[in-house]
Amino acid sequence: MKKVFVIGWNSLTRLVRERSNVFFVFILPMLLVLVLGAAFGGTNDPRVGIVSVDAGELGDDLVGRIEAAQGVDVRAWDSREDVILAVERGQLEVGLIIPEGFDETLRAGEEVTIEFVAQPEQDARALRNTIESAVTEQGALLRAAAFAEEQVDAGFSDALDSATQLAEESERVTIEQDSVGEPFVFDQMGQFELGAYSQLLLFVFLTSLTGSTALIQSRQLGVSRRMVSTPTRIGQILAGEGLGRFLVAMVQGIFIMAGTAIAFGVDWGDWPGAIAILVVFAFGAAGVAMLMGATFSNDQQAGGVGVLVGIGLAALGGAMLPLSIMKIFSPTLWQVAHVSPHAWGIEAFEELILYDGTILDIWLELAVLGTFAIIVFALATWRLRIAITR
Amino acid sequence: MGDAGDGLVMECRDLHKAFGDIVAVDGVGFTISDGETYGLLGPNGAGKTTSISMICGLLEADAGEVFVDGERMTTRSVEPKRAVGYVPQDIAIYPDLTARENLTFFGRLYGMGGDGLKSRVSEVLELIGLAERADDKADDFSGGMKRRLNIGIGLLHKPHLLVLDEPTVGVDPQSRNAILESVERLSIEGMGVLYTTHYMEEAERLCDRVGIIDSGKIVAEGTRRELVDLIGSQDRVRVVASGDLKSAAEAVDGLPSVVEVGEREGGLDLIVGGAASNLTEILQKTTGAGAVVTSVDVDEPDLESVFLHLTGRARRD
Amino acid sequence: MRAAFLIARKDLRQRLRDRSALVYGIIAPLGLAILFSFIFGPLDDAAFEAEYVIVDEDGGQISEAFGEALGGLEDDGIAVIRTVESVEVAREQVETGSDAFAGDDVASADAAFVIPEGFSEAVLAGEAAEMTIIGAAGSELSAQVAYSVAQGFSSELAAVDVAVRTVLPDAMAAIAQEGGTASGVSPGAEGAPGAVTPEMLAALLAQEAASTVNPITVEDVSASTKQLDSTTYLSAGMAVFFLFFTVAFGVSGLLEERRLGTMQRLLAAPVSRSSIIVGKALTSFALGILSMTVLVVASTLLIGAEWGNPLGVALLVVAAVVAAMGILAVVAAVAKNQEQASNFQAIIALVLAFLGGTFFAIAQVGGFMATLGLFTPHAWFLRGLGDLQGGELADILPSVGALLAFGLVTGGIAWFFLQRSVGRTR
Repeated sequence: MKKVFVIGWNSLTRLVRERSNVFFVFILPMLLVLVLGAAFGGTNDPRVGIVSVDAGELGDDLVGRIEAAQGVDVRAWDSREDVILAVERGQLEVGLIIPEGFDETLRAGEEVTIEFVAQPEQDARALRNTIESAVTEQGALLRAAAFAEEQVDAGFSDALDSATQLAEESERVTIEQDSVGEPFVFDQMGQFELGAYSQLLLFVFLTSLTGSTALIQSRQLGVSRRMVSTPTRIGQILAGEGLGRFLVAMVQGIFIMAGTAIAFGVDWGDWPGAIAILVVFAFGAAGVAMLMGATFSNDQQAGGVGVLVGIGLAALGGAMLPLSIMKIFSPTLWQVAHVSPHAWGIEAFEELILYDGTILDIWLELAVLGTFAIIVFALATWRLRIAITR
Repeated sequence: MGDAGDGLVMECRDLHKAFGDIVAVDGVGFTISDGETYGLLGPNGAGKTTSISMICGLLEADAGEVFVDGERMTTRSVEPKRAVGYVPQDIAIYPDLTARENLTFFGRLYGMGGDGLKSRVSEVLELIGLAERADDKADDFSGGMKRRLNIGIGLLHKPHLLVLDEPTVGVDPQSRNAILESVERLSIEGMGVLYTTHYMEEAERLCDRVGIIDSGKIVAEGTRRELVDLIGSQDRVRVVASGDLKSAAEAVDGLPSVVEVGEREGGLDLIVGGAASNLTEILQKTTGAGAVVTSVDVDEPDLESVFLHLTGRARRD
Repeated sequence: MRAAFLIARKDLRQRLRDRSALVYGIIAPLGLAILFSFIFGPLDDAAFEAEYVIVDEDGGQISEAFGEALGGLEDDGIAVIRTVESVEVAREQVETGSDAFAGDDVASADAAFVIPEGFSEAVLAGEAAEMTIIGAAGSELSAQVAYSVAQGFSSELAAVDVAVRTVLPDAMAAIAQEGGTASGVSPGAEGAPGAVTPEMLAALLAQEAASTVNPITVEDVSASTKQLDSTTYLSAGMAVFFLFFTVAFGVSGLLEERRLGTMQRLLAAPVSRSSIIVGKALTSFALGILSMTVLVVASTLLIGAEWGNPLGVALLVVAAVVAAMGILAVVAAVAKNQEQASNFQAIIALVLAFLGGTFFAIAQVGGFMATLGLFTPHAWFLRGLGDLQGGELADILPSVGALLAFGLVTGGIAWFFLQRSVGRTR
């Protein structure tokens, strides 16, 4: 048993000694959680870019009314061209251009056109109603002011002020808002959580797979020869290599968990549950690495296939597109996704993080991941025995 | 200087090269005539490969000049390089290409092409004994076959000067013999050959002239005869012994007939004036100093003795 | 130049024989693109359409008008409107609608409009009235749109009232002063029975005010879509991500020649040192173009990626290959050995790819991360393809220029270092 640990420990020290591995195993995942959190975490409200340059008091008033609407993220832009381009490139959902001299023109009793930009065929077109609503609201006051000017020669601005005040006082038709049902789960999550648990699984698995090249190299370096001379050590070497992969996965996983918790305040929920997911998942990842190490004979090719399989299974399992969204848009795919161990891992983490579950609530996911690990380890051992003794 | 009419295929003068503080080549100069085989003999680290690198235009000399076929050779030269065939010390072939593809690629780089290249490739494959395996990947070859291919690439474009950098290092005796035979044949065909080695016997067998290089300098040069004459009527005595060799060496060094003493593993190498009459005395001194002698060889003077004489130490393998 | 071509040809033969280049250049990117198209493709087809229910307990003039206003949403294809009989049913359906996983076979709604009994009457009588919107917490946008529509309707109703009330005091004062006339209002001869009351005046004013129009109109600006659909975006992202591995097989060839010892032979051959470097660059270029071409064609045929104008795509591909070559050549020029080079190249390829948004569309998030992304060729390549979608060929020139600039600057640096290091034989 001691030899098994020596071989396993050797894998771990070899990993840390190589500086580029430190980058791939520790720095890159943290960087990604940061990038994803910074870029995608937080509010998902549609972004409305408003150009309101020299639009005066009434311009500001209109912007204020739009800002007051719920569920829109209003941002100030400087130029018409930029805002249109930003909409076209998908950097804004909606653009709105309030022309220069908006205030003066309206006060002079003339008509003004404001421009609305959204991509054709996009959800954001519905937001035209929000904009229209604000415009109608402001328009009611402008109409009153113009009417007063016409009927009783009142000054436009004075009339506008009194209309504004009257509108606030009179609440003719009030709109009561009531909300039922649960908000969409991801809207309740912190900025970095989604990135943290999906990248954790992606990287633990990916690192294991690319680590299979080490196994191929050590096979090439004559493990088989040693085998022939002392056949009793086959089992030990296999166990040692497997343990090595497992230790690497665990060290990386714990680093990412602790790192994101400390650096980004990620709440992993129930810690025993989170660690349990990591353990069974890392075990499975190590098994797949062993299987690849036994199947391939060219380490460069194995590296390429490792990247393909590692990213592929992660994406399928919901590490790139959340499973809940996948389930809405393509229920069949959502079912297929469950061939990937990542899907089970992610659902387990979501149970802990989103629904405050404990280790007891994720027994099914843990059992599935554990079974998966045992199967791939058995397959890998069988393949490796063939590969080495052949 | 060095126009084609003087029959010189290569001339180098006063080559210097230093790597940082380490002076690798310190004033090397020699010439090779058409059809001549010149041996550059010296221990490892003497500056053989550095000299060759400058001669082949791989390395810029700090000072000095190289002429090949009368044209100045620098790292930027193109024309003079056509005249040189270079065989690096380590195997330098593409393992994922076949023997034929390796040869064809380098042939093209030397400006060959068409049917001429095709037939020359087949010719060389025949010559290096790889005709049967011509379309197998070089990776699948044995060490000896790779060596032969390594040399074949250098010969392909029929260079005026073939430069072989220690082609027999790490080669089994059989392949080694095959290599030596083919070099002999090439010089008969009129190719100039520059051959570096640290094996005396190879230099003796192949080379018309030999330059002995040590610590970046050529310490002696000439035909075998000329070099041996440097020592005069001196013989080389090899004493195979064990025990206190250091004291034994000191003891025999005191004898008037002993010109040089070199200590090596398992015995002593001596240059002795008139070995026949002084052998008893030498043996007495040796055993008296605490060494146990198992055998004694007396050789006619050869390059090894010249080398020992000139450098004051036995050749190191 | 001949020598450069010979070297490139030899390299290509080697690379095509060794399947690693095939794995990185075609199999991995294409495999991932196909997988991604299955995962993300359905998102593209999902068009926004809200489902609203209306509970009309009033059945009056105003609630009818509101129903007409909602009809506008249907005409715009933004929502479908159904009428349900009771608040309870409406509430139940909205609750179902909030659960994204409820499925299509259950009646559900994103929001309900509840118009209580007596609503029209109250509005017409100028009294306070109340309408309720029940929004689904899980469909924020739909609920927000419903609220906006109701709010707009309410503002429209209020407009006349506010106008009348703004004018009324002055108008009454004017009547008192000028003998009961005000512009547009002729209450009849002085001393007629029943002097002008505010109510009468208000009713008259209201008729006038109703004909006023909002001086602000909202007009649609036609915008094209300079954005790739998910399938194309991820196909392009994977292609450019793996391009950085494929191209590396070429420029790192210098280090491989050094490892194999064949560099000595190339240096001893009658070819210039520059042509050795150019040969490796040609190999990179050919591998890059080859892999990108196969990926563009295959993703178009297999998963329906829409890359856009072929000439524009070709320009961007060439520029991206040049950029990748330059960056990787710098690594090859300064690395000590092949292993170190491939480690650094992998790190650079990954970091640039993530920042450049090949896996996640970071550019569309905007802000600091998007700006940071512009320091990567990947972001420019994807931006160029996006601009190509809805624009002219000329629109991609900034992206092509940026990519070429990456390539030329890094290529220049690499050339400088390679001139020194190419002569190294070990």
